[in-house]
Amino acid sequence: MRRPPYHKENGGRLEVKMTPMIDVIFLLLIFFVCTASFSAPEEVLATHLLLPGTVDSEVPIPPELEDLEELIIEVSWREGRPLWKVFSSDYDELPQLKEKVLLKVHKLQADLPVILDVAPNVPMKNVIDVFDLCREIGFEKIQFAASPQP
Amino acid sequence: MRVATNLSRGSLGFNMTPMIDVVFLLIIFFLVSSHLAQQETQLELDLPKASSGTRPQVDNTRRVVVNVLPERKPGGRIMVAGRVMEKAELAELIRFEGEANRKLREKDREAPPLEVRIRCDRKVPYGEVEPVMIACAREGVWKVTFAVVGK
Repeated sequence: MRRPPYHKENGGRLEVKMTPMIDVIFLLLIFFVCTASFSAPEEVLATHLLLPGTVDSEVPIPPELEDLEELIIEVSWREGRPLWKVFSSDYDELPQLKEKVLLKVHKLQADLPVILDVAPNVPMKNVIDVFDLCREIGFEKIQFAASPQP
Repeated sequence: MRVATNLSRGSLGFNMTPMIDVVFLLIIFFLVSSHLAQQETQLELDLPKASSGTRPQVDNTRRVVVNVLPERKPGGRIMVAGRVMEKAELAELIRFEGEANRKLREKDREAPPLEVRIRCDRKVPYGEVEPVMIACAREGVWKVTFAVVGK
């Protein structure tokens, strides 16, 4: 009886051929290297200005904050640095603004609208920084003040 | 005289391996090129960093992506769909899109509101972005989002 030829060629041994597997692996490697995105994934910061949401606070409200209807943060640019002004006090560091004002106000009234009054020459990086900080703390209504235009 | 016999004994062998190799290469080429083409549709900008950003959802929202360029180009500093334009032209575009979306929502109450996504370079002064937001507010577009990258 005639035996299949591969038994003769391999002498009865089963061999695993690596070459096609390496070919395929290289192809897959090249594919994934080419399709991998090396840029950071983009996210979005929503400005839903009319979001409902009321969080009542049980903390007693100090008299100076009792009639507070909105929190206005003025952002200006002086000598190459951003400057934040709240309740007539200037802050040149964001953590300072966070600790001294934003956290305290949020504790008292979380649904207070925050209005960002930004000078035209402030870079967007600093605008987004303070906007992001307000969102992180938990303020829900963050608005931008607009200068009147014709 | 010995006559040469047909070695394959009547059957024509068809080697598929090179064809499969070529087909795989073509598939990979088209996959890679389409992926790169998709990536290039987004203008590369140095976006501001933020930690409270969320991943954009893929939905059927009508969206206008406004790119604010780091430097002024001939024709303006705002780029929408590959076209550089001035603020007045952008306001006109937002008015048109807002009107189209309003009509769509009159027909279909479930249709989502128009979204304007602002992609601005982190060095761009706020004065360049403010007119975009004013134009949105004037046309009743309240869903304005900023494109950022995670911190």
